[in-house]
Amino acid sequence: MTALYVLDVPENTTVAKVAGEDPEVTVGKVGPYFEITADGAIVVDRRATGCRHAVWYSCVAGVADGRIVQHDKDALRVDPA
Amino acid sequence: MTLEHKVRGVDHAAFPTFDPAGTVRFYRDVLGFPVVHSICAAGWGPEDHPDFIHFFFDIGNDDRIAFFYYFGLEPQHAHERGDVYAGFGPEVPEFFVRSRHLAIHVDDQDDLLEYRRRLDDSQWPVEMQIQHETIESIYTHDPNGYMVELTRAMRPVTPQEDLDANLTIDALLDVVGAPEPTFGKLLARKAELIVERAADWEAAQV
Repeated sequence: MTALYVLDVPENTTVAKVAGEDPEVTVGKVGPYFEITADGAIVVDRRATGCRHAVWYSCVAGVADGRIVQHDKDALRVDPA
Repeated sequence: MTLEHKVRGVDHAAFPTFDPAGTVRFYRDVLGFPVVHSICAAGWGPEDHPDFIHFFFDIGNDDRIAFFYYFGLEPQHAHERGDVYAGFGPEVPEFFVRSRHLAIHVDDQDDLLEYRRRLDDSQWPVEMQIQHETIESIYTHDPNGYMVELTRAMRPVTPQEDLDANLTIDALLDVVGAPEPTFGKLLARKAELIVERAADWEAAQV
């Protein structure tokens, strides 16, 4: 299970929301962090989040059992390790 | 054990200048920072120290930026990039040259834009205005080449951001204490720390 952690602050809420639109992805909470989990890849479309670049490129707090294979102006993608 | 935190901000941050006239125009006449202190010192000591003027501007909150002007001292390097204290050759990447700077706080966007107007009406106009993660900043370079930022918070910092900052630093120390640190290793270590500590932290907040 791959997990992507995103801190729950106002700038980041759309990241968790957009990630959770994939039915294969589950969004929970661990303390003040969103815990975004999936058996497969987790993909977040940047434009759908509406995040400005400084927010987008600093929104990832942690990655467990996976690795970031894309984090650019288009998308964030975490693949299983 | 947490050590008692007794310090009270910046007393002064000091920089050399070869252009005291430009420096006074920039800080006092353009930005409106009052001159609050100066020392006229005769050179003395074993190193043939030049005579100098050490002068201070109020940057708010009783904090100060200070300069040294040394009579008769020539510039200490010939590089075009960097500032009068430190010069850099073409092999040094721009992000590194621009990394060291002083950021001065303002209360809100009205005040930020007021300083933007003052700079834009001068020979040192704003070079960039950027909304970062939670702050908005304007940047210029002073007559000495020092990068100066003025910044305002777009919202208050939340308690969970302090937790996150501490988890980041603990993860960073773990990663740089091992061979070949990378951003990916930091995010993996930080995920472990989030699982270990974040739920307990939140429970302790109530």
